[in-house]
Formats: sequence, C-alpha cells, structure tokens
Amino acid sequence: MLSRSAERLYWLARYLERTENIARLVNVHMNLLLDLPKGIEMNWQQLLKINSSEELFFTSYNQASERNVVRFLITDSNYSSSLFSSLSYARENIRTTRDLLPDEAWEHVNEMYLYAKNNLDSVNSRRQRVLFLREIIEGCQRFTGLLSGYMNHSRPYRFIRLGRNIERADMTSRILDLASLLLSESRSEEVKQYETSLWLNILKSLNALLIYRQQVHNRISGNQVLNLLLFNDNLPRAIYCCINEITDCITRLPRHEATVEQIKYLEAYLKTIDTQSTTQQQLREILDTLQNKIGQVHIQIADTWFLIQDQHSAENT
Amino acid sequence: MKSIWENYNTEAAYDELMQSEYQPRAISYHLCQYLNSLKKSDIDKRKTAAELAIMEMGITFTVYTDEGNIDRAWPFDIIPRIIAASEWKIIEKGLKQRLTALNCFIADVYDEQAFIKDGKIPDHIINSSKNFRKECIGIKPRFNAWANICGTDLVRDKDGVMYVLEDNLRVPSGVSYMLENRVITKRVFPELLQDINILPIDNYPTQLHEMLCSIAPENGMTKIAVLTPGIYNSAYFEHAYLAQQMGAQLVEGCDLVVNDDNCVYMRTIEGLEKLDVIYRRIDDDFLDPEVFRKDSILGVPGLMRAWKAGNIALANAPGAGVADDKVVYAYVPEMIRYYLNEEPILPNVPTYLCSDDDDLEYVLNNLAELVVKPANESGGYGMLVGPHATNKEVIAFREIIKQNPRNYIAQPTLAISTAPTLCKDKLEPRHIDLRPFILQGERTFVTAGGLTRVALKKGSLVVNSSQGGGSKDTWIIDMEGI
Repeated sequence: MLSRSAERLYWLARYLERTENIARLVNVHMNLLLDLPKGIEMNWQQLLKINSSEELFFTSYNQASERNVVRFLITDSNYSSSLFSSLSYARENIRTTRDLLPDEAWEHVNEMYLYAKNNLDSVNSRRQRVLFLREIIEGCQRFTGLLSGYMNHSRPYRFIRLGRNIERADMTSRILDLASLLLSESRSEEVKQYETSLWLNILKSLNALLIYRQQVHNRISGNQVLNLLLFNDNLPRAIYCCINEITDCITRLPRHEATVEQIKYLEAYLKTIDTQSTTQQQLREILDTLQNKIGQVHIQIADTWFLIQDQHSAENT
Repeated sequence: MKSIWENYNTEAAYDELMQSEYQPRAISYHLCQYLNSLKKSDIDKRKTAAELAIMEMGITFTVYTDEGNIDRAWPFDIIPRIIAASEWKIIEKGLKQRLTALNCFIADVYDEQAFIKDGKIPDHIINSSKNFRKECIGIKPRFNAWANICGTDLVRDKDGVMYVLEDNLRVPSGVSYMLENRVITKRVFPELLQDINILPIDNYPTQLHEMLCSIAPENGMTKIAVLTPGIYNSAYFEHAYLAQQMGAQLVEGCDLVVNDDNCVYMRTIEGLEKLDVIYRRIDDDFLDPEVFRKDSILGVPGLMRAWKAGNIALANAPGAGVADDKVVYAYVPEMIRYYLNEEPILPNVPTYLCSDDDDLEYVLNNLAELVVKPANESGGYGMLVGPHATNKEVIAFREIIKQNPRNYIAQPTLAISTAPTLCKDKLEPRHIDLRPFILQGERTFVTAGGLTRVALKKGSLVVNSSQGGGSKDTWIIDMEGI
C-alpha cells in the first residue's frame, strides 16, 4: 500500500470525524443555551477557546456573537478547521483514493458536500441550523456504516479507523474541556447551578447518556461523567475506547513498534488521571496535556507510514 | 410513422454504414435491419440505458474549473461504427509497419542519425523540434522500442481511402473509452452482439501488461506502476482504469524516489519498494525536474538518471515525441521505404510544410481551403479549419503562421467520412475518425478497431472530446463468419 494512499485515507477519516464533531460541538452548546434560564450569560467565545482559534477568529470578526461564531465554525472556508473546510478536505482526499474504496463511498461524501454547500446559509437561523447539523451528523454516521459493511477490513480500512479514532479522542477531550471551562470561569457562577444540565448535554452530544444510565445508575454528576468519558472501554467516544481501537489498528500494520510505544505513553498518562481530586482548573491542564500526547501519537504515525517530503534526492543535484 | 432514416444524407462524404438514404452497406446490413425492427421509443430506452451505464460506471473525462463539478460524463453514441475484417487486416498491417518504421527512426535520431546524413530529412527539422531531447542520445531501450504505446488517428476521405492523419507517440489517451464503449454496447444491444461476429477488444489490458513486462530491465517478477499527473488531468479516469485492469500501482510523482543506487522506489507503508517499469502518463517536460522543467512538481527527480542507468523502463521512452511532430509526420512514408525497404501500406494525407518556402507561399495563398495545424499541439487546440473559418480568423492566422512557419503544417480539408448518429428524433450523419492503439515491445499488437470519435455538432470536423466530441463503439466484423 502506497504511503500517500495511507495518508489520504487517514486524513479522509480525520476530516470526516472533525466535520461530525464540530456539528456535535455546536449542537451541544446550542442545546445548553436553550436549557439555561433566560438572563444567564452564555458565551460563544468558549467554543473558540477550546479549538484554540480565538486569534484567527478576531482577524475577521469583531464580536464573538452567536451568528459570527457559528458562521466561523461551520461555514467559513478561510478557517481550515471549520465544518465546511473539513468536509471539503475530506472530499478532496476521497477523490484521490477512489480506487481503494467502494464506489458508494465517494458518492456519499460528494452528496454530503453538495448538501452542505447548498445549505450554508441555513445555519444563520437556529431552527434550520439544528436540521443542518443533524443531517451532517447522520451523513457521517452513514459513511462509517457504509465502510464497515462494504469495505474489505484490510490495511486501507485500518488507516481509516486509525484517523477516525485519533480525531475522536482529541475531540472528546475538547468537549470535556468545554465543560470544565464553563464551570471554572468565575463569572459563570450561575451556570454552576445548572451543572447537571451541562453534563447531561455533554453525555447526549457524545451519545453516552444511555450507557451512563445503564452503568452508573446514579444521578448525573461531573465526576462520574468524566470517569465514563475518559476510562470506559466500550463507549465509542470514550478516550480509553479510542486508544484501544488505535492500538488494535496499529499492531496490525507493518513496522508498528515505535507507534505502539507512543500509544503506551498516552495510555499510561490517561490512567494517572484522578478525577476525584482535581479542580476544574487542573482538569483543563490535564486535558491539554492529553491532547498533546494524542498529537505525539499522530506525529509518530505520520513518521512511520506517510510520505515524508525528504528533500534529500533533490538536493543531490 | 416516420423512419429514423428519413432524409439521411450521404452526399457530403463517404458514409461508413450507408450507401444511400435507405441502402445500407453489406457490413451494416444486419445492424440496420435490427434498428429498423425497433420502435423509436425502444431506441430512446436504449439511449437512456447507455447514459445510465455511463453514470454508474463513472466513465468521465475531466474538465478543470473552479466550481467543483469537474468530471463530465463521457458523451457516447449508441450506434456503432463498423469496419469489415478484410479491410481491417490491411489497416492492421499498415499500422504495424508504420510504428516499426517510426521506432527505427527514433532510435536512429538518438544514435547515428543516418536518415539525416543520407539527406532524407533536413537536420534543422530535428534540431528545432521541441520534442527532440538531446539528453536521450546514446540510450538503447530494449527492442529499440521507444514508442511502446501509439495512438494513430485515421480518417477516410470521400474516395473511401483510409489516411493516417497523425501518430500520437507521447501519451496517447482514449483506450479506456474504447474498452468501456464495448461494455456499454453489450449492455444496450445484447441480442445484436450475439448474432454478429465482432472481434473482441477486451484483451488490451493483458497485452499492455505483457508489453510492459517485456521491456523490463530484468526478467522475473516485474513491478509495474502507472505514473499519473493526478486527479486534475483530463485522462485521470483512464490512468486509474488501466492501473486497476493491469493490477499495477497507480502512482503520482511524490510516491516515487530515486536513490543513490539510481533505482526507482515507491514509498509504501512497508518502506521503499523497487519498481521495474513505469507506464508514464506525464509529458517529457514534467518527467524529471533534474533534467527537464525545473519547476515540475509532477515528476520524479532523478528518473532520467535511473533510466539511463538501465534500472527502469519508461513507456513511452523520453524523447519518443520527436516523431510525434506534424512536420516529421510528412516524412513517415520515406522512413518506411528507408528503414524497412517496403512501400507504405497506409497513405499520409498530403502535407504542406510551412518551413518550406514554396509550400509556405501555397499555404498562405490558399488558407481558406486548408486545415492548418501547429506542429506540436494535441487535443485540437490552436488549429484553423479554413472552410469553416471567418475571413477575419483567416487573416489573423496568416500572421500567426508567418511569425513561426516551422511550427505549422497545412493539409487539404478532407471530406472525412460520416456515420449515422442518434440525434434528437432521427439519425443524422456526423463526421468521425478512428484511433487504433498499437503496442510495441518484444512483439507488436494492434487493437481490433480502436476508438471512434465523432464530432457531435452538425457539420463539425473536430472530434476531440475537449472540443465537444463524443465516441462510438467500433466493430470489426468478420463477414465470412456470417
């Protein structure tokens, strides 16, 4: 398998997962906003903060209003991590790897792209935005299902799973980051009264409410939610579960030793997290480190299997 | 009920299927009888079925625009074009003869240049050809086969004679469409194909694979790749199709690296993997930034080093385009006599070379009757069809020729043959040409027929897909088998 193909499939999966996750993120924020009583200050800037994109945002927008932040995160093609940019990149990656995928895969992503492109303006109204985001989330889910049912589960498929789970682990940590951020900001004192509502929405956004009720039984508490989303090994969006998926893919690929080492560091770090005894502020730092370690795994994956643009041969002349 | 043949006009040119309005030729008798047995609505259904098949199979050619939709469905006419096997046998022989002579010529140009020294062609024609690559002098590809894959365009004039219009020796495309056209026809007219003895064409990928293996530097397990400029190339569909059909790897320049050992490797997830043969679909200019265009990001630095060292076979060989020049074309009949000591089986179209003073004068005085083509362009770009041009265009073109006479040739405007083509509600004659594909490695192979391209616009003589052309399935029919 060509390194370029591996790289493109990996990124295809990452971009599609990112597309879905941005939709989930905006959704959870919006739902939270609807659950909170009128008059409580609800800040859209937090969405920028957890994506580390505040600086970029303010180069094109004056104010972090709902309208502006939503446009930036969903439709702005100048922001490379926006939903529409991610979907466009996913489409470009699949265009050039069609020979490795079932025909329906390309058609599906292309249709999704065209839907998004033709409905970009609908995100301005909340009502239509909900429909838009749902369509995108479902589209991404259908794609995953389609590949799972249609595609040979060989190396190309492993690179897709790999990309998806790296991105997913990263985004789950960012969504948890959002919760901590909301709870740690002193001026959001009032929000704390609605902590349960916050965690409930977080669980919903990660499709984890059912499993929480089944496994935890308790009323919803921050600690328990964190424990579930960090350490559960069956919940697809829990970070530990993502790590297991990643490990499974990696060990079935050639030349995997260094990457397995790297993922072990990540796993070991995860296990040291004690949600009981950390403050919200500490938790933010921990999640930050976790994201860095996921980034390290990505770098190792790229070093091992992807195209390295070595200038060596060109410089020989 | 009106017949779909009503007012079918066979006056303007030789028609491949019809002798006159209602009189089919012997080769198309069966087909016409069959078409007449169908209701108009049946024919429409089949047309729709063909369009659906094209969509489903994803047969596209690419037109790059800023606005996303860059794959266009391949325009296809369901009425096939037919040639008798007895005639085809002669054409096939003529094509093999021609490519053999062309390869002798290319080998000679990069070696002793006997053809020039013996005064058969002025040396300035070679030296001024932009496809003459001095970097190739002294190289000896296996079997002297420089042009391994050739697409030769044939047209039939009013007199019924097949002429060679040009030889495409650089990166000729269209063969995948030829193959897919037959697949569609099989779907659309299954009953018809059963009754007629049509020569099969689907062995092309196998023949291509065999030819590529034969030119590999070493015998044994041969690792082959198709090198594409990428998704934005108009023939990307074909590159992917051929790679898939041959079980070869489809690669882009960035997938390959030439190491210090002057071998070519693919970058795979297992590490570097050595390649033996590259079927390259990138022009010479972009092939190797170390040697040709420095700004090329499509190519592979060091590829020429590896080729010269004999570690990789490139098909077609760099420099083969020297014989794919419309000025050099005029000398092909002489090459056949010179290298093979034979008379050409297939005639050239009479050609005026603007580099020659007498010819130039004739051309400038008769522009309105001639077709003028640039020597080195493909795809039907930058040409003048005199009888179809406005006075203003003719005057403008006259100046363009005068500025660079070496770059232009002119030919009489042929009344190229027509074939019935399904238009709105009936059949109408449309001009067609034929591009057979010839492979030359250890052995020489010619496709049974080729790609028939059709100028879909009424009266138009330009068949290129980039200029609004379509295509037809091409049947070589063995009449003795009926």
